[in-house]
Amino acid sequence: MDDSARRLLQRLIRRIPAQMLKPTLDKWDRLTAAHRQSMDFTESKWALTEKLLAICEENEMTVKHITELEMIHVIENPDHSMWYALQLVDPEDDAHSVELTQFKEQFKSHLRELIRHVSIKIKKHTDEAVWIRIAWGDSFSRPNHLKPTYVVHHLQTPYVFVTSLTSKLKPLLSQALVLSTRYQAIKDASLSGRKLTAIRDLLMRQYQQVFPTKYPSSLVENNQNASNILINKEQAELAASRHQKACEAFGDGMLPQLQSAVYKLETKFRDHTNKTMTEREEAFRCVVKFASTNLLESLRHCASSGISSTPGTSLLSSIPLKGRNYFVITDNGPGPSSQTRQPPN
Amino acid sequence: MSLLKPFSKLPGLNTANILLVENEEQFQQSLADILVEETSVSVTVRLAKTLPLPMENDESRPRIDLVVFIMNLTSELSFQSAEASLKYLDPGYFLGKVCFMVTNARNASVPTERLDAVRKLAASLHCPLLFAEDQAPDGVTSATERLLTVLKVAAGLVPTTTALYLSNLTRCTLPPDIEQPSFD
Repeated sequence: MDDSARRLLQRLIRRIPAQMLKPTLDKWDRLTAAHRQSMDFTESKWALTEKLLAICEENEMTVKHITELEMIHVIENPDHSMWYALQLVDPEDDAHSVELTQFKEQFKSHLRELIRHVSIKIKKHTDEAVWIRIAWGDSFSRPNHLKPTYVVHHLQTPYVFVTSLTSKLKPLLSQALVLSTRYQAIKDASLSGRKLTAIRDLLMRQYQQVFPTKYPSSLVENNQNASNILINKEQAELAASRHQKACEAFGDGMLPQLQSAVYKLETKFRDHTNKTMTEREEAFRCVVKFASTNLLESLRHCASSGISSTPGTSLLSSIPLKGRNYFVITDNGPGPSSQTRQPPN
Repeated sequence: MSLLKPFSKLPGLNTANILLVENEEQFQQSLADILVEETSVSVTVRLAKTLPLPMENDESRPRIDLVVFIMNLTSELSFQSAEASLKYLDPGYFLGKVCFMVTNARNASVPTERLDAVRKLAASLHCPLLFAEDQAPDGVTSATERLLTVLKVAAGLVPTTTALYLSNLTRCTLPPDIEQPSFD
Protein backbone atom coordinates (compact mmCIF):
# COMPACT_ATOMS: atom_id res chain seq x y z
CA MET A 1 0.00 0.00 0.00
CA ASP A 2 1.73 3.15 -1.11
CA ASP A 3 2.15 6.42 0.67
CA SER A 4 -0.73 8.28 -0.93
CA ALA A 5 -3.15 5.48 -0.10
CA ARG A 6 -1.99 5.46 3.49
CA ARG A 7 -2.38 9.23 3.78
CA LEU A 8 -5.79 9.08 2.19
CA LEU A 9 -6.93 6.44 4.65
CA GLN A 10 -5.64 8.41 7.64
CA ARG A 11 -7.39 11.56 6.44
CA LEU A 12 -10.58 9.68 5.86
CA ILE A 13 -10.73 8.00 9.25
CA ARG A 14 -10.12 11.36 10.85
CA ARG A 15 -13.09 12.81 8.98
CA ILE A 16 -15.53 10.08 9.82
CA PRO A 17 -17.10 10.67 13.25
CA ALA A 18 -16.52 7.91 15.79
CA GLN A 19 -20.08 6.63 15.93
CA MET A 20 -20.33 6.41 12.12
CA LEU A 21 -17.14 4.42 11.76
CA LYS A 22 -18.54 0.94 12.35
CA PRO A 23 -21.61 1.28 10.07
CA THR A 24 -19.52 2.80 7.29
CA LEU A 25 -16.94 0.03 7.45
CA ASP A 26 -19.71 -2.56 7.41
CA LYS A 27 -21.21 -1.00 4.31
CA TRP A 28 -17.80 -1.01 2.66
CA ASP A 29 -17.74 -4.75 3.06
CA ARG A 30 -14.06 -5.24 2.32
CA LEU A 31 -13.04 -6.42 5.75
CA THR A 32 -13.55 -10.04 6.63
CA ALA A 33 -15.58 -11.00 9.66
CA ALA A 34 -12.42 -11.83 11.54
CA HIS A 35 -11.01 -8.38 10.94
CA ARG A 36 -14.20 -6.74 12.02
CA GLN A 37 -14.22 -8.71 15.24
CA SER A 38 -10.67 -7.70 15.96
CA MET A 39 -11.45 -4.00 15.72
CA ASP A 40 -12.49 -2.60 19.04
CA PHE A 41 -14.59 0.47 18.35
CA THR A 42 -14.30 1.81 21.85
CA GLU A 43 -10.63 2.60 21.39
CA SER A 44 -9.41 6.05 20.43
CA LYS A 45 -9.51 7.16 16.81
CA TRP A 46 -5.73 7.07 16.60
CA ALA A 47 -5.58 3.45 17.75
CA LEU A 48 -8.33 2.50 15.30
CA THR A 49 -6.50 4.22 12.45
CA GLU A 50 -3.35 2.24 13.16
CA LYS A 51 -5.33 -1.01 13.33
CA LEU A 52 -7.11 -0.30 10.08
CA LEU A 53 -3.89 0.69 8.33
CA ALA A 54 -2.36 -2.59 9.42
CA ILE A 55 -5.35 -4.58 8.11
CA CYS A 56 -5.32 -2.75 4.79
CA GLU A 57 -1.58 -3.31 4.38
CA GLU A 58 -2.12 -6.99 5.04
CA ASN A 59 -4.82 -7.20 2.39
CA GLU A 60 -2.84 -5.06 -0.03
CA MET A 61 -5.63 -2.58 -0.54
CA THR A 62 -5.08 0.14 -3.08
CA VAL A 63 -6.23 3.70 -3.48
CA LYS A 64 -9.20 2.39 -5.45
CA HIS A 65 -10.57 0.59 -2.38
CA ILE A 66 -10.02 3.54 -0.09
CA THR A 67 -11.85 5.83 -2.48
CA GLU A 68 -14.80 3.43 -2.34
CA LEU A 69 -14.90 3.92 1.42
CA GLU A 70 -14.69 7.68 1.01
CA MET A 71 -17.52 7.67 -1.46
CA ILE A 72 -19.72 5.65 0.88
CA HIS A 73 -19.03 8.14 3.66
CA VAL A 74 -19.76 11.19 1.49
CA ILE A 75 -22.98 9.72 0.15
CA GLU A 76 -24.19 9.18 3.71
CA ASN A 77 -23.08 12.61 4.93
CA PRO A 78 -23.07 15.08 2.08
CA ASP A 79 -23.56 18.12 4.28
CA HIS A 80 -19.95 19.01 5.02
CA SER A 81 -19.09 21.03 1.95
CA MET A 82 -20.74 23.71 -0.16
CA TRP A 83 -22.82 22.35 -3.03
CA TYR A 84 -23.52 24.37 -6.17
CA ALA A 85 -26.38 23.66 -8.53
CA LEU A 86 -25.98 23.71 -12.30
CA GLN A 87 -28.64 23.43 -14.91
CA LEU A 88 -28.37 21.86 -18.34
CA VAL A 89 -30.13 23.78 -21.10
CA ASP A 90 -31.37 23.10 -24.61
CA PRO A 91 -31.86 19.37 -24.72
CA GLU A 92 -31.27 17.42 -27.87
CA ASP A 93 -33.96 15.08 -29.07
CA ASP A 94 -32.67 12.08 -27.20
CA ALA A 95 -31.82 13.86 -23.95
CA HIS A 96 -34.80 12.41 -22.16
CA SER A 97 -33.92 8.84 -22.88
CA VAL A 98 -30.35 8.81 -21.62
CA GLU A 99 -29.96 5.88 -19.31
CA LEU A 100 -27.35 4.85 -16.83
CA THR A 101 -24.89 2.69 -18.77
CA GLN A 102 -24.90 5.03 -21.71
CA PHE A 103 -24.31 8.03 -19.47
CA LYS A 104 -21.49 6.29 -17.60
CA GLU A 105 -19.60 5.28 -20.72
CA GLN A 106 -20.06 8.60 -22.43
CA PHE A 107 -19.05 10.62 -19.39
CA LYS A 108 -15.92 8.59 -18.71
CA SER A 109 -14.78 8.63 -22.30
CA HIS A 110 -15.39 12.35 -22.80
CA LEU A 111 -13.66 13.35 -19.59
CA ARG A 112 -10.69 11.10 -20.33
CA GLU A 113 -10.37 12.71 -23.75
CA LEU A 114 -10.23 16.15 -22.19
CA ILE A 115 -7.74 15.40 -19.46
CA ARG A 116 -5.40 12.48 -19.47
CA HIS A 117 -4.89 11.63 -15.82
CA VAL A 118 -8.20 11.55 -14.12
CA SER A 119 -9.80 8.98 -11.86
CA ILE A 120 -13.56 8.62 -12.16
CA LYS A 121 -15.90 6.58 -10.02
CA ILE A 122 -19.62 6.45 -10.78
CA LYS A 123 -22.21 4.97 -8.48
CA LYS A 124 -25.97 4.90 -8.64
CA HIS A 125 -27.65 5.56 -5.33
CA THR A 126 -30.97 4.00 -4.36
CA ASP A 127 -32.84 7.25 -4.82
CA GLU A 128 -32.11 7.54 -8.55
CA ALA A 129 -29.17 9.88 -8.08
CA VAL A 130 -25.93 9.19 -9.90
CA TRP A 131 -22.88 10.04 -7.79
CA ILE A 132 -19.58 10.73 -9.54
CA ARG A 133 -16.27 11.10 -7.77
CA ILE A 134 -13.48 12.71 -9.82
CA ALA A 135 -9.85 13.00 -8.77
CA TRP A 136 -8.03 15.37 -11.07
CA GLY A 137 -4.46 15.11 -12.30
CA ASP A 138 -2.89 16.84 -15.30
CA SER A 139 -0.66 15.81 -18.15
CA PHE A 140 2.30 15.38 -15.81
CA SER A 141 1.01 14.22 -12.49
CA ARG A 142 -1.20 11.46 -11.17
CA PRO A 143 -4.70 12.21 -9.94
CA ASN A 144 -4.81 13.98 -6.59
CA HIS A 145 -7.12 11.94 -4.41
CA LEU A 146 -6.99 14.32 -1.50
CA LYS A 147 -9.14 16.94 -3.25
CA PRO A 148 -11.82 15.10 -5.20
CA THR A 149 -14.82 16.67 -6.80
CA TYR A 150 -18.23 15.11 -6.22
CA VAL A 151 -21.02 15.46 -8.76
CA VAL A 152 -24.62 14.38 -8.29
CA HIS A 153 -26.92 14.10 -11.26
CA HIS A 154 -30.45 12.83 -11.49
CA LEU A 155 -30.87 11.17 -14.87
CA GLN A 156 -33.50 12.62 -17.17
CA THR A 157 -33.54 15.87 -15.19
CA PRO A 158 -31.48 18.88 -16.22
CA TYR A 159 -30.00 19.35 -12.73
CA VAL A 160 -26.46 18.70 -11.59
CA PHE A 161 -24.98 19.42 -8.16
CA VAL A 162 -21.23 19.82 -7.68
CA THR A 163 -18.90 20.36 -4.78
CA SER A 164 -15.19 21.18 -4.47
CA LEU A 165 -14.67 22.18 -8.07
CA THR A 166 -12.06 24.80 -8.96
CA SER A 167 -12.83 27.31 -11.68
CA LYS A 168 -9.93 25.98 -13.74
CA LEU A 169 -11.50 22.55 -13.98
CA LYS A 170 -15.10 23.67 -14.29
CA PRO A 171 -15.08 23.99 -18.12
CA LEU A 172 -13.77 20.44 -18.46
CA LEU A 173 -16.45 19.00 -16.25
CA SER A 174 -19.13 21.07 -17.97
CA GLN A 175 -18.04 19.85 -21.39
CA ALA A 176 -18.11 16.23 -20.32
CA LEU A 177 -21.51 16.60 -18.67
CA VAL A 178 -23.06 18.38 -21.62
CA LEU A 179 -21.86 15.80 -24.10
CA SER A 180 -22.83 12.78 -22.04
CA THR A 181 -26.30 14.01 -21.14
CA ARG A 182 -27.10 15.14 -24.68
CA TYR A 183 -27.82 18.78 -23.89
CA GLN A 184 -26.30 21.77 -25.61
CA ALA A 185 -25.09 23.89 -22.75
CA ILE A 186 -24.86 24.15 -19.00
CA LYS A 187 -25.34 27.19 -16.82
CA ASP A 188 -25.07 28.16 -13.21
CA ALA A 189 -28.40 27.83 -11.41
CA SER A 190 -27.56 30.50 -8.77
CA LEU A 191 -28.35 28.08 -5.99
CA SER A 192 -25.86 26.92 -3.41
CA GLY A 193 -25.92 25.58 0.11
CA ARG A 194 -24.44 23.13 2.53
CA LYS A 195 -27.33 20.71 2.70
CA LEU A 196 -27.55 18.76 -0.52
CA THR A 197 -31.02 17.39 0.21
CA ALA A 198 -32.31 20.92 0.81
CA ILE A 199 -31.11 22.41 -2.45
CA ARG A 200 -32.13 19.32 -4.37
CA ASP A 201 -35.67 19.38 -2.92
CA LEU A 202 -35.96 23.11 -3.57
CA LEU A 203 -34.81 22.90 -7.18
CA MET A 204 -36.83 19.83 -8.05
CA ARG A 205 -39.84 21.03 -6.04
CA GLN A 206 -40.00 17.95 -3.82
CA TYR A 207 -42.10 19.56 -1.15
CA GLN A 208 -45.80 20.02 -0.80
CA GLN A 209 -47.05 22.66 -3.22
CA VAL A 210 -50.17 24.64 -2.51
CA PHE A 211 -52.08 25.98 -5.47
CA PRO A 212 -54.13 29.19 -5.34
CA THR A 213 -57.81 28.43 -5.01
CA LYS A 214 -60.71 30.81 -5.03
CA TYR A 215 -62.68 28.82 -2.47
CA PRO A 216 -60.38 27.35 0.16
CA SER A 217 -61.82 24.67 2.38
CA SER A 218 -64.32 25.94 4.90
CA LEU A 219 -62.44 24.47 7.84
CA VAL A 220 -61.57 27.45 10.01
CA GLU A 221 -60.75 25.93 13.37
CA ASN A 222 -57.19 25.36 14.40
CA ASN A 223 -56.64 21.63 14.98
CA GLN A 224 -55.80 22.17 18.62
CA ASN A 225 -58.93 24.14 19.34
CA ALA A 226 -61.23 21.92 17.32
CA SER A 227 -60.78 19.30 20.00
CA ASN A 228 -61.61 21.73 22.78
CA ILE A 229 -64.88 23.56 22.23
CA LEU A 230 -64.28 25.74 25.24
CA ILE A 231 -61.52 27.61 23.39
CA ASN A 232 -62.65 29.73 20.46
CA LYS A 233 -60.56 31.68 18.04
CA GLU A 234 -62.31 34.91 17.11
CA GLN A 235 -60.38 35.73 13.97
CA ALA A 236 -59.90 32.19 12.73
CA GLU A 237 -60.92 32.95 9.13
CA LEU A 238 -58.39 35.73 8.82
CA ALA A 239 -55.71 33.52 10.28
CA ALA A 240 -56.63 30.70 7.90
CA SER A 241 -56.49 32.95 4.83
CA ARG A 242 -53.12 34.32 5.92
CA HIS A 243 -51.86 30.79 6.34
CA GLN A 244 -53.22 29.83 2.93
CA LYS A 245 -51.47 32.75 1.21
CA ALA A 246 -48.22 31.99 3.01
CA CYS A 247 -48.38 28.34 1.94
CA GLU A 248 -49.14 29.37 -1.63
CA ALA A 249 -45.97 31.41 -1.67
CA PHE A 250 -43.67 29.03 0.15
CA GLY A 251 -45.26 25.57 0.26
CA ASP A 252 -46.88 23.48 2.96
CA GLY A 253 -45.56 20.94 5.44
CA MET A 254 -41.83 20.32 5.75
CA LEU A 255 -39.86 22.77 3.66
CA PRO A 256 -36.34 22.21 2.29
CA GLN A 257 -33.83 23.41 4.86
CA LEU A 258 -32.32 26.22 2.88
CA GLN A 259 -29.91 28.15 5.05
CA SER A 260 -29.08 31.35 3.26
CA ALA A 261 -30.18 33.70 0.52
CA VAL A 262 -28.08 36.50 -0.93
CA TYR A 263 -29.36 39.56 -2.76
CA LYS A 264 -26.82 41.69 -4.52
CA LEU A 265 -28.32 45.15 -5.02
CA GLU A 266 -27.10 47.48 -7.71
CA THR A 267 -29.91 49.96 -7.52
CA LYS A 268 -29.92 53.65 -6.91
CA PHE A 269 -30.27 54.80 -3.34
CA ARG A 270 -33.84 55.92 -2.62
CA ASP A 271 -34.70 57.73 0.58
CA HIS A 272 -36.46 61.06 0.65
CA THR A 273 -34.95 62.06 3.96
CA ASN A 274 -31.38 61.64 2.79
CA LYS A 275 -30.68 64.05 -0.03
CA THR A 276 -26.92 63.57 -0.34
CA MET A 277 -27.15 59.84 -0.98
CA THR A 278 -30.14 60.08 -3.30
CA GLU A 279 -28.44 62.66 -5.50
CA ARG A 280 -25.61 60.35 -6.43
CA GLU A 281 -25.73 59.14 -10.01
CA GLU A 282 -24.11 55.78 -9.68
CA ALA A 283 -25.81 52.76 -8.16
CA PHE A 284 -25.56 52.06 -4.44
CA ARG A 285 -24.02 48.63 -4.27
CA CYS A 286 -24.78 46.48 -1.30
CA VAL A 287 -25.27 42.82 -0.49
CA VAL A 288 -28.12 41.62 1.70
CA LYS A 289 -27.77 38.17 3.17
CA PHE A 290 -30.53 36.23 4.94
CA ALA A 291 -29.33 33.32 7.08
CA SER A 292 -31.27 30.94 9.26
CA THR A 293 -31.40 27.28 10.24
CA ASN A 294 -34.46 26.94 8.05
CA LEU A 295 -34.93 30.08 5.98
CA LEU A 296 -38.06 29.09 4.08
CA GLU A 297 -39.82 28.03 7.27
CA SER A 298 -39.08 31.41 8.89
CA LEU A 299 -40.28 33.34 5.84
CA ARG A 300 -43.47 31.32 5.74
CA HIS A 301 -44.04 31.90 9.45
CA CYS A 302 -43.56 35.66 8.97
CA ALA A 303 -46.28 35.66 6.36
CA SER A 304 -48.73 33.36 8.14
CA SER A 305 -48.46 35.07 11.52
CA GLY A 306 -49.10 38.47 10.02
CA ILE A 307 -45.70 39.99 10.83
CA SER A 308 -45.23 40.71 7.14
CA SER A 309 -48.23 41.58 5.04
CA THR A 310 -49.48 39.19 2.40
CA PRO A 311 -48.98 38.99 -0.54
CA GLY A 312 -45.33 39.26 0.38
CA THR A 313 -42.63 40.83 -1.68
CA SER A 314 -41.89 38.91 -4.82
CA LEU A 315 -38.18 39.08 -4.05
CA LEU A 316 -38.57 36.67 -1.14
CA SER A 317 -41.14 34.44 -2.79
CA SER A 318 -38.87 34.08 -5.83
CA ILE A 319 -36.65 31.84 -3.76
CA PRO A 320 -38.97 28.83 -3.95
CA LEU A 321 -40.59 29.97 -7.18
CA LYS A 322 -37.39 30.17 -9.17
CA GLY A 323 -35.41 27.71 -7.08
CA ARG A 324 -32.42 29.97 -6.51
CA ASN A 325 -30.85 31.76 -3.62
CA TYR A 326 -28.54 34.25 -5.30
CA PHE A 327 -30.15 37.28 -6.93
CA VAL A 328 -28.74 40.36 -8.59
CA ILE A 329 -31.20 43.24 -8.54
CA THR A 330 -30.73 46.22 -10.83
CA ASP A 331 -32.98 49.16 -11.52
CA ASN A 332 -34.38 47.66 -14.69
CA GLY A 333 -35.71 44.64 -12.86
CA PRO A 334 -33.87 41.45 -11.91
CA GLY A 335 -30.40 41.25 -13.48
CA PRO A 336 -29.19 39.21 -16.42
CA SER A 337 -28.39 36.22 -14.25
CA SER A 338 -32.06 35.54 -13.66
CA GLN A 339 -34.18 33.72 -16.18
CA THR A 340 -37.54 32.08 -15.86
CA ARG A 341 -37.22 28.47 -14.83
CA GLN A 342 -37.90 25.80 -17.35
CA PRO A 343 -40.50 23.45 -15.89
CA PRO A 344 -38.98 20.02 -15.32
CA ASN A 345 -40.54 17.44 -17.58
CA MET B 1 -68.30 51.49 15.84
CA SER B 2 -68.40 47.87 16.84
CA LEU B 3 -67.63 48.23 20.53
CA LEU B 4 -67.50 45.20 22.73
CA LYS B 5 -70.06 45.79 25.46
CA PRO B 6 -69.81 44.24 28.91
CA PHE B 7 -73.45 43.90 29.97
CA SER B 8 -75.39 43.51 26.77
CA LYS B 9 -75.84 39.76 27.19
CA LEU B 10 -77.06 37.51 29.96
CA PRO B 11 -74.53 35.66 32.10
CA GLY B 12 -74.43 31.87 32.31
CA LEU B 13 -74.78 29.85 35.51
CA ASN B 14 -71.40 29.28 37.15
CA THR B 15 -69.68 30.30 33.91
CA ALA B 16 -66.88 32.72 33.29
CA ASN B 17 -65.75 33.88 29.83
CA ILE B 18 -62.36 35.42 29.21
CA LEU B 19 -61.01 37.09 26.07
CA LEU B 20 -57.25 36.97 25.51
CA VAL B 21 -55.92 39.51 23.01
CA GLU B 22 -52.36 39.00 21.84
CA ASN B 23 -50.63 40.11 18.66
CA GLU B 24 -48.24 37.15 18.48
CA GLU B 25 -50.93 34.52 19.21
CA GLN B 26 -48.50 32.30 21.13
CA PHE B 27 -48.86 32.71 24.88
CA GLN B 28 -52.64 32.93 24.65
CA GLN B 29 -52.80 29.35 23.45
CA SER B 30 -50.83 27.94 26.40
CA LEU B 31 -52.85 30.02 28.83
CA ALA B 32 -56.11 28.84 27.27
CA ASP B 33 -55.16 25.18 27.55
CA ILE B 34 -54.71 25.49 31.29
CA LEU B 35 -57.59 27.91 31.91
CA VAL B 36 -60.20 25.49 30.58
CA GLU B 37 -59.05 22.82 33.02
CA GLU B 38 -60.47 24.74 35.95
CA THR B 39 -63.05 22.61 37.74
CA SER B 40 -64.88 24.89 40.16
CA VAL B 41 -66.07 27.22 37.43
CA SER B 42 -66.76 26.46 33.79
CA VAL B 43 -64.37 28.72 31.87
CA THR B 44 -64.65 29.56 28.17
CA VAL B 45 -61.75 31.21 26.43
CA ARG B 46 -61.93 33.38 23.32
CA LEU B 47 -58.67 34.14 21.51
CA ALA B 48 -58.08 37.15 19.29
CA LYS B 49 -55.14 38.87 17.67
CA THR B 50 -56.57 42.40 17.84
CA LEU B 51 -59.88 44.17 18.38
CA PRO B 52 -62.40 44.79 16.87
CA LEU B 53 -63.78 41.28 16.86
CA PRO B 54 -65.50 40.08 13.69
CA MET B 55 -69.23 40.80 13.56
CA GLU B 56 -70.06 37.31 12.32
CA ASN B 57 -69.26 35.84 15.72
CA ASP B 58 -71.44 38.31 17.59
CA GLU B 59 -74.41 35.96 17.92
CA SER B 60 -72.49 32.98 19.18
CA ARG B 61 -70.18 34.94 21.45
CA PRO B 62 -71.06 34.77 25.14
CA ARG B 63 -70.80 37.70 27.54
CA ILE B 64 -67.10 38.48 28.02
CA ASP B 65 -66.30 38.93 31.70
CA LEU B 66 -62.62 39.80 31.48
CA VAL B 67 -60.49 41.12 28.62
CA VAL B 68 -56.76 40.48 28.95
CA PHE B 69 -54.27 42.27 26.71
CA ILE B 70 -51.04 40.27 26.45
CA MET B 71 -47.98 42.24 25.39
CA ASN B 72 -44.51 41.04 24.66
CA LEU B 73 -42.19 43.74 25.92
CA THR B 74 -39.46 42.87 23.41
CA SER B 75 -41.69 43.97 20.54
CA GLU B 76 -42.87 47.52 19.95
CA LEU B 77 -45.49 46.23 17.54
CA SER B 78 -47.06 44.20 20.36
CA PHE B 79 -47.54 47.31 22.49
CA GLN B 80 -48.87 49.41 19.62
CA SER B 81 -51.33 46.75 18.56
CA ALA B 82 -52.68 46.42 22.12
CA GLU B 83 -52.98 50.19 22.43
CA ALA B 84 -54.86 50.41 19.15
CA SER B 85 -57.27 47.69 20.24
CA LEU B 86 -58.27 49.61 23.38
CA LYS B 87 -60.49 51.94 21.36
CA TYR B 88 -62.86 49.10 20.52
CA LEU B 89 -63.82 48.37 24.10
CA ASP B 90 -66.86 49.94 25.66
CA PRO B 91 -65.80 52.19 28.59
CA GLY B 92 -67.81 49.94 30.92
CA TYR B 93 -65.04 47.38 30.67
CA PHE B 94 -62.53 49.65 32.34
CA LEU B 95 -64.31 49.33 35.68
CA GLY B 96 -62.35 46.25 36.63
CA LYS B 97 -62.97 44.02 33.61
CA VAL B 98 -59.72 44.72 31.77
CA CYS B 99 -56.31 43.43 32.70
CA PHE B 100 -52.86 43.87 31.14
CA MET B 101 -50.40 40.99 31.09
CA VAL B 102 -46.81 41.51 30.08
CA THR B 103 -44.15 38.91 29.15
CA ASN B 104 -40.36 39.10 28.81
CA ALA B 105 -39.96 41.91 31.31
CA ARG B 106 -36.63 40.47 32.48
CA ASN B 107 -35.13 40.51 29.00
CA ALA B 108 -32.11 42.79 28.82
CA SER B 109 -32.98 44.10 25.38
CA VAL B 110 -36.20 45.73 26.56
CA PRO B 111 -35.89 49.52 26.63
CA THR B 112 -37.01 50.96 29.96
CA GLU B 113 -39.21 53.50 28.16
CA ARG B 114 -41.44 50.73 26.91
CA LEU B 115 -42.12 49.30 30.35
CA ASP B 116 -42.75 52.82 31.64
CA ALA B 117 -45.19 53.44 28.80
CA VAL B 118 -47.07 50.22 29.61
CA ARG B 119 -47.18 51.20 33.28
CA LYS B 120 -48.52 54.65 32.45
CA LEU B 121 -51.15 53.16 30.19
CA ALA B 122 -52.31 50.67 32.84
CA ALA B 123 -52.29 53.34 35.56
CA SER B 124 -54.27 55.82 33.49
CA LEU B 125 -56.94 53.20 32.83
CA HIS B 126 -56.98 51.97 36.46
CA CYS B 127 -56.26 48.40 35.40
CA PRO B 128 -54.01 45.77 36.95
CA LEU B 129 -50.68 45.01 35.32
CA LEU B 130 -49.50 41.43 35.66
CA PHE B 131 -46.05 40.15 34.75
CA ALA B 132 -45.82 36.61 33.40
CA GLU B 133 -43.16 34.12 32.46
CA ASP B 134 -44.25 32.42 29.28
CA GLN B 135 -41.41 30.00 28.62
CA ALA B 136 -41.58 27.69 31.63
CA PRO B 137 -44.68 25.58 32.42
CA ASP B 138 -44.55 26.83 36.02
CA GLY B 139 -44.77 30.38 34.79
CA VAL B 140 -47.77 29.60 32.64
CA THR B 141 -49.53 27.87 35.54
CA SER B 142 -48.97 30.75 37.95
CA ALA B 143 -50.14 33.27 35.35
CA THR B 144 -53.37 31.31 34.84
CA GLU B 145 -53.95 31.13 38.60
CA ARG B 146 -53.72 34.90 38.87
CA LEU B 147 -55.98 35.39 35.89
CA LEU B 148 -58.53 32.98 37.34
CA THR B 149 -58.61 34.92 40.60
CA VAL B 150 -59.45 38.13 38.76
CA LEU B 151 -61.80 36.33 36.36
CA LYS B 152 -63.93 34.80 39.09
CA VAL B 153 -64.46 38.20 40.66
CA ALA B 154 -65.16 39.85 37.32
CA ALA B 155 -67.76 37.19 36.48
CA GLY B 156 -69.52 37.87 39.78
CA LEU B 157 -68.86 34.41 41.16
CA VAL B 158 -67.19 35.55 44.38
CA PRO B 159 -69.70 36.71 46.98
CA THR B 160 -69.30 40.22 48.52
CA THR B 161 -66.72 41.30 45.94
CA THR B 162 -67.20 43.10 42.66
CA ALA B 163 -64.79 43.75 39.84
CA LEU B 164 -64.69 47.47 40.59
CA TYR B 165 -63.84 46.84 44.24
CA LEU B 166 -61.06 44.44 43.31
CA SER B 167 -59.63 46.80 40.75
CA ASN B 168 -59.19 49.42 43.45
CA LEU B 169 -56.83 47.01 45.17
CA THR B 170 -55.04 45.60 42.15
CA ARG B 171 -54.74 48.54 39.81
CA CYS B 172 -51.36 49.61 38.60
CA THR B 173 -49.89 52.65 40.27
CA LEU B 174 -46.96 54.69 39.06
CA PRO B 175 -43.97 55.00 41.33
CA PRO B 176 -43.32 58.70 42.06
CA ASP B 177 -39.89 58.56 40.42
CA ILE B 178 -41.04 57.17 37.09
CA GLU B 179 -39.84 60.27 35.27
CA GLN B 180 -36.34 59.97 36.71
CA PRO B 181 -33.70 58.25 34.54
CA SER B 182 -33.01 54.65 35.58
CA PHE B 183 -29.74 53.23 36.85
CA ASP B 184 -28.22 52.04 33.57
